[in-house]
Amino acid sequence: MSWADLGSAALRAALPVAIWGCGAAAYAAAKRDGRGLASARWSSLLALVLVSLAVVGMEGSLLTHDFSVQYVAQNNARETPTFFTVISLWAALEGSILLWTLVLTGATAYVAWRGTRELPRLATAALAVLLAMLAFFLLLVTTPAADPFVRIDPPFDGNGPNPLLQNHPLMALHPPLLYLGYVLFSVPFAYAIASLVLGEGGDRWLVATRRFALVSWALLGVGIVAGSWWSYAVLGWGGYWAWDPVENAAIMPWLTATAYLHSVMVEEKRRLLRTWNLSLVITTFALTILGTFLTRSGVVNSVHAFTQSAIGPLLLGYLVAIVVLSVGLLLWRMPRLAESGGVGAPLSREAIFLFQNVVFVAATLTVLLGTLYPLIAEAVSGAQLSIGRPYFDRVEVPLALALLFLMGIGPQLPWHGASRATLERQFTAPVVAGACGAVLAVVLGIGGAFAVLTYALAAFVAATVVQEFARGVHARGVLHGEGPAEALANLLRRSGRRYGGYIVHLGIVVIAVAVATSQAGTVQVEKTLAPGDTVAAGPYLVRLVALRDAAEPQRDLLVADLAISGNGADTRLSPALVFYPNSTQAVGSPGIAAGPRDDLYTILAAYDNRAKAWATIRVLVIPLVSWLWVGGLIVGLGAVVAALPQPRRGIATRRAVEVPVAVET
Amino acid sequence: MAGTEPASRSPGLSSRRILLIAALALAVIVAFVAVQSLGSNAVYYLTPTEARERHIGPRQLTRLGGLVLPGTLHYDPQSRLLTFGLGDGTTNIAVVGDGAPPALLREDAGAVVEGQFAEDGTFRATTVIAKHDEKYAPPSPGKTPAHGTP
Repeated sequence: MSWADLGSAALRAALPVAIWGCGAAAYAAAKRDGRGLASARWSSLLALVLVSLAVVGMEGSLLTHDFSVQYVAQNNARETPTFFTVISLWAALEGSILLWTLVLTGATAYVAWRGTRELPRLATAALAVLLAMLAFFLLLVTTPAADPFVRIDPPFDGNGPNPLLQNHPLMALHPPLLYLGYVLFSVPFAYAIASLVLGEGGDRWLVATRRFALVSWALLGVGIVAGSWWSYAVLGWGGYWAWDPVENAAIMPWLTATAYLHSVMVEEKRRLLRTWNLSLVITTFALTILGTFLTRSGVVNSVHAFTQSAIGPLLLGYLVAIVVLSVGLLLWRMPRLAESGGVGAPLSREAIFLFQNVVFVAATLTVLLGTLYPLIAEAVSGAQLSIGRPYFDRVEVPLALALLFLMGIGPQLPWHGASRATLERQFTAPVVAGACGAVLAVVLGIGGAFAVLTYALAAFVAATVVQEFARGVHARGVLHGEGPAEALANLLRRSGRRYGGYIVHLGIVVIAVAVATSQAGTVQVEKTLAPGDTVAAGPYLVRLVALRDAAEPQRDLLVADLAISGNGADTRLSPALVFYPNSTQAVGSPGIAAGPRDDLYTILAAYDNRAKAWATIRVLVIPLVSWLWVGGLIVGLGAVVAALPQPRRGIATRRAVEVPVAVET
Repeated sequence: MAGTEPASRSPGLSSRRILLIAALALAVIVAFVAVQSLGSNAVYYLTPTEARERHIGPRQLTRLGGLVLPGTLHYDPQSRLLTFGLGDGTTNIAVVGDGAPPALLREDAGAVVEGQFAEDGTFRATTVIAKHDEKYAPPSPGKTPAHGTP
């Protein structure tokens, strides 16, 4: 029995297990039946084992280069390095959906064994929803359209992975992070649906899945940053975000999930926005499916859409079913979702959070419009068109700045409303900092009104965060006699959700500054050089040393050796064109010297293919772009701090610590 | 709760109304900017014949797909001027690009160019994309390029 036989058999066995488990969980939730729950639990565990076996079967097939498996023949070759062989699991559609299914099975098993202990009935109903989704995905991977184990007459050698996907180790990180983020959001969705079906108007579903939503959001966000880093390091155009339809598909659920993470707090503290929160969860989940549909069905063309696939209609059907059922449930249960109390003053935390939610939804809708407009136009008028980057820049940049502004004021306002004294106390220093930020941008010569505004808002927000930390540390010092380091550690440990959130905000500030500076301040030159010639780019001098051929087992390269000097730099870069046997298209591989101040980004744009007498070299000096990845890391760290379980604390400690620090309840 | 009395403790209804008005105003502005930007940033994807038939004028951002005509591809490394003819069997258009051609832009193979027509009828391309990957169908109207270097 081959690895593929094992995987194929395991997948096929998992489908009835998931269907059985779904039925058992639904029965258990309806009848409060203990045996049904036990059965659903064991089904979830068995499904996890079986899907894991299928993944093992696929990895085994890849590592043994079993080209009788179509997926292996299309995405692997004898000379593919082991690292890229292993990550070929997500190099194409079928393997990606297998990975997706594995993550979903893991989340399902977690809810089955842990979730049902905390909230037996609600989690059991949610388990039924998750198992139904799992059954759909298992159905998908066992239909010929997306079956990873379809067998063929084995060729002598495989096709090898898509060249773009075997060029950089970040491929090991970016897709799984996004899949984890996408799939883990199934859990809040399943709880929300369960809550609607059971007619529980309360907030228990939301509290139970808060951490899942946070982790899913963080993975999605870090995955998006990793993806833009990959695009920057691999695609050789010196940029990191192109408003490509599939990038849009990833950012849309992240936007609505961000809105949700904030509006959750309003529901927890003020018992408002119940219908709104349910709608946001449903929307976010639907957008993750839409993203998969756009990526995998071939309806939009992008760097990510590998091939046309027959699973498009299935995914579309799934999407429509989810939207119709969720909206129907929501409308049906609306009367039970009555809210108590109203929003406080316009300058209250809940009001700002609400407004922030509106801006996030506006950003999502406009991205959605730009992404789907070509499809709509083609359906209506038959015209083929695409929506250029200026549309997105023009619409989304002001919205992003508005969000940056709200990020600075929302957390600084108390619930219900703020007094004049509070406003002065909270905003004097940040406003001064913001003015300094604007002056700094002008002094540094960072061009453009948007860039100056970004610097001002970034300084404003950063100051609010620093102020919060300083006050927290000071208060702990006064009350508990703790030193600054100890006080800081205790703040993060005991109020992780709040201070982790501030760290996330700081990461977003870093990203905003990096984006604004790199967009406004990039210097680009392009020149044809003979060996020995030099081109100046900003403060750097780039000399073409030689053009040479290089061969690696799985690919051939044409390398331009460059010597970099000036501005204290003394280094060598080797941008190259890479030729893979499975593709007639050469892949550009940029040479990048990354630094805290700027990145020197070099591209071999063209060369003399007869005598190697000249090469056209494009050189970009991109300021602060490395801080974009650092900002992503800070966001991830903040999310970890916020997601870690907090120690239970006594009432006395709570009052003593929080009252002097916070203006909130 | 920290001993602060809200300065503007307005009744819930009116503050809700303020929020509603603010949200509506935002929605209207965003919708207006979005729809307006959508119209001015739609890049039509045409074959050379379609471009001629529709009388696409100068300064209209357009994307053309076709074949690089045999014997027309020329790149001058010093001026970095790229010129070639792009055709679809019926209509041929002279394309002028500024900058190095994408790797493996070849004659008698597919290409997609984005840019604008000049007054003299030549097409000034800001982006040239070679369409070579055997995984994709040869260029036909209606298929936007799968990947390339912007």
